[in-house]
Amino acid sequence: MLKKFGGLTVAVLATLALAGCGGNSQSAAVSTSTQPGTLAVNPPLRVASLSASAFAANLDATTSGQQLLQLAGTPACGVDFYYLKYWTVAPDGKPTEVSGALMVPTGAGSQCSGARPIVLYAHGTTTASNYNIADISDPSNAANSESAMIAAVFAAQGYIVVAPNYEGYDISNLGYHPYVDGAVNAEDMIDALTAARAALPHTFTPGTTDSGQLYVTGYSEGGYVAMATVKAMQAAGETVTASAPSSGPYALEAFGDAIFFGQVDIGSTVFAPLVTTSYQNAYGNVYSQTTDVYSSTYATGINTLLPTTTPLATLFQSGKLPEAALFDSTTPVTGNTQLDQLLAEPTSPPYTPEQAALFDAGFGSPGLVTNTFRAAYAADALTNPDQAMMTLLNGGTLTASDVALAASPSVGLRQDFKVNDMRNGGWMPKEPMLMCGGDQDPTVFFMNTQIMAAEWSPLVAGGLVSVLDLNGTPGGPFAPLQSAFQGTYAAMVSAEGASTAIQSYHATEAPFCMVAARDFFAQVP
Amino acid sequence: MQYKIATLALGTALALATTTGAHAGNATPNDIRIGAYFVHFDTSATAFTGPYIVPGLSTSVKNTTTLYLGYVRTLSRHFAVELAFGWPPVTHAVARGPAAVGSVPYNGQEIATVRWLSPTALLEYNFFGPTAHWRPFVGVGVNYTYFYDRSVTAAGAAVSGGPTSISMPSSVGPAVTAGFTYRINQRWHVVASYSVAQVNTRLTTDTAGVFRSSSVHFWPNAVVLSVGYSFGL
Repeated sequence: MLKKFGGLTVAVLATLALAGCGGNSQSAAVSTSTQPGTLAVNPPLRVASLSASAFAANLDATTSGQQLLQLAGTPACGVDFYYLKYWTVAPDGKPTEVSGALMVPTGAGSQCSGARPIVLYAHGTTTASNYNIADISDPSNAANSESAMIAAVFAAQGYIVVAPNYEGYDISNLGYHPYVDGAVNAEDMIDALTAARAALPHTFTPGTTDSGQLYVTGYSEGGYVAMATVKAMQAAGETVTASAPSSGPYALEAFGDAIFFGQVDIGSTVFAPLVTTSYQNAYGNVYSQTTDVYSSTYATGINTLLPTTTPLATLFQSGKLPEAALFDSTTPVTGNTQLDQLLAEPTSPPYTPEQAALFDAGFGSPGLVTNTFRAAYAADALTNPDQAMMTLLNGGTLTASDVALAASPSVGLRQDFKVNDMRNGGWMPKEPMLMCGGDQDPTVFFMNTQIMAAEWSPLVAGGLVSVLDLNGTPGGPFAPLQSAFQGTYAAMVSAEGASTAIQSYHATEAPFCMVAARDFFAQVP
Repeated sequence: MQYKIATLALGTALALATTTGAHAGNATPNDIRIGAYFVHFDTSATAFTGPYIVPGLSTSVKNTTTLYLGYVRTLSRHFAVELAFGWPPVTHAVARGPAAVGSVPYNGQEIATVRWLSPTALLEYNFFGPTAHWRPFVGVGVNYTYFYDRSVTAAGAAVSGGPTSISMPSSVGPAVTAGFTYRINQRWHVVASYSVAQVNTRLTTDTAGVFRSSSVHFWPNAVVLSVGYSFGL
C-alpha cells in the first residue's frame, strides 16, 4: 500500500520537475567585456521616472527647488533617470567599473522625444564616496541637489544628459579618485558617453535617440573635466558641438602657485589630499611618505582619507583635517627676501580687506601642509615660474604671450600640475566654448578662466571662445543671468553677512552657469 | 529542515494510523476526486527593501479558481490520507502601496504572474462509520509549493525600472482541513472542505542586477467542492 502511495509521489515529483522547465522572465544582460565604454548592464536600471508636472511639483516643495525652478524654467519634459554601470580605464591602465547617470527627457512634446541633443556633464568636487548622480530618489545622497540641477536645467528642457560619478565613487573600487587627472577624467567622460549611447535604444523610450549634437559642460572640478574632455575628444578626431566648462581649475599650475604663495582658497584643505593622493597614485612623485607634505598631526592615513562616507563636518571635528588652515600661521623664513615675502600671510594692501581676511583663514596652527614642503614648492614656483602667475603677481594684464607654463618645474607636485594644466599641449578648442564663472569666486579663482582666455585670446577675439563673468557689469546675451546672480548674492550677503555668504559663492554660481551653458548651446545647433 | 520535520511527523502519524486499524474488509480503499478549488489569499507581504526604492511598496495576490484533483487512500475505519493538488493556477500579483512611484502608476497595478504547483498531503480523521452517508472529517498535513513561470508584467517592469526576473524559493508549511463527505452509494460521493495552508516565500526581484525583496505570507485558504469515485485495487 505504501509502495503504491510512493509511486504516486514519484509521479507528482516528476510533474514538479517538468514544471521546473517553465519559463521565467529575464533580467538585464551583464556584459563580459571590460573594454572602455562597455555598458556593464544593459538595459540600465531606471531609478525614477518623473513627468514634467511631477518633477515641477517635487522642486516646488523645497526653497532651493523653487529657486532652481525659477532659474531653469518650468519643466517642458518629464525625465527618466537611469543608472549606468560601465567600464573605463584606471590611471594604471587597467579596466575599472564605474557608474553614472543617463537622464532621458520624456513626454509627448516634440522637444521631449525623437532625436535629442546630448549634454555630457561633469560634476564638481565631492568628498562623499557614495556620490551617485543617478540617484534622484534619495534626498540623502550627496549628489541629489546636483542631480536635480542638471535634470531641471537640461533634461527637463529636452536634452539627454550623461553624467559620470567618476572613478573612486559609488560602485568604483579604485580606492581613491583620480582628481584633476585630465586624461583619466576625460576617458571616463567619453566612456560614459559611449555606454549611454549603447543604452539609449534599450530604455523605456527607445524612440528618443541621439541627434548627434554633443554639448560638454561641468562645474568646478567638472569644469576642468569638461575642458579636458573637449581636449581629448578633439585629439581623437571626435566632434564636440559646443562646450561650456564652468568655474574650473583649468590653469592648475598657476592656481597651485597662487595657493602656495598664500592665496589660500576656500576648500583647500579638502582639495589638497584629493590632489596629492591622485597624483601620488598616478605618478608616484608627490612624496616618499605623507609627512613629506603633511604635518604630523594629519599625515597618518591622509592618503586614504578621501573620498569617504564620513561627513566632512565629522572629519573636521575629529581632527582628521583642519577646516581651513592649509598652511602654518608661522610662515617659513628661508632668508630669500622675495620668497619670504611670498610666503608671508597676504595683507591688505595689495589685497582687498575681504581677500586678506579670506586668505588669513587659510593659516592656522598646525597647518595641514608643512612649512618645509610649502617653502620648497614656493621656491620652485619662483625659480621656475609660471608666466601667468608672475604676470598676475606683478599686476600685469594677461596676454597670449605671457601665460606660458613653467619650463621645467622641479617639485613633483608642480610637475604634475603642469602635466594636467589645460594650457599643456598647445591645443585650442575648435568649436564654440563658453567659460562661465565669477570673478570673486573664493574657491576656484577666476584667474583659471582668465588664463585660458588669454591663452586663447585670438579665439576670444574671434568669438569662438567666450567668457562670462557672472559678477561682471551686466551686458550682452547673458545680462539677465548676471543681474540675477548678483541680485541673489546681494540678498545672501544682506541675510547672512558677507563672511558667511562668501562661503557659498562658488556653489551659488553653479545653476546660473548651467543656465548660461544651456542658452549658449541653444545658439550652437 | 521544516520540510523534514513535517515529513517525519506525517510518516509517524501514517504508521500509527495504519497499525491501529486495518482496512481489511474495505473493498474500495481508493478514492479519486475531481472538483473545483476556490482559493482566497490573505496575503501579507513586507514592504520591498533594496536599492533605489521608496518606502511602502507591497503586493497582494488575486483570488483564483482552479481544477482540484485528489487521491484518498483509506487506511483504517477512521483514518485516510489525501494527496490534493490544484491544476497549477496562474496567480496575479497586484501592487499595494502609493498610487504612483515617481510618475509610474503603482497601487492596483498587476505587476507579476506566477504559476503554483502546490500539492498537499493530509492525514484525515473521518467521523462515524464507513457506511454513514454523512461523514465529517478533519485533517492535518503538509503543503509544498513550487513557484514557476514567474513573469513580470509591463507595469511591473515599469515600476521596477527595467526587465525584471523574480526568484521565489519553494515553500513547505503545515496545512489543515475540515469538511464532510456525502456518500451517494458505495462508489460515488461528494465532498466539501475548507483548507488553510501556510505558504511563505521570499520574493526577490532582479532588475539590472539590482535586487529588492519582500517576505510574502500567502495564507491560501480554499473551499473545495468535488465529486469522488471509490474503487478497489
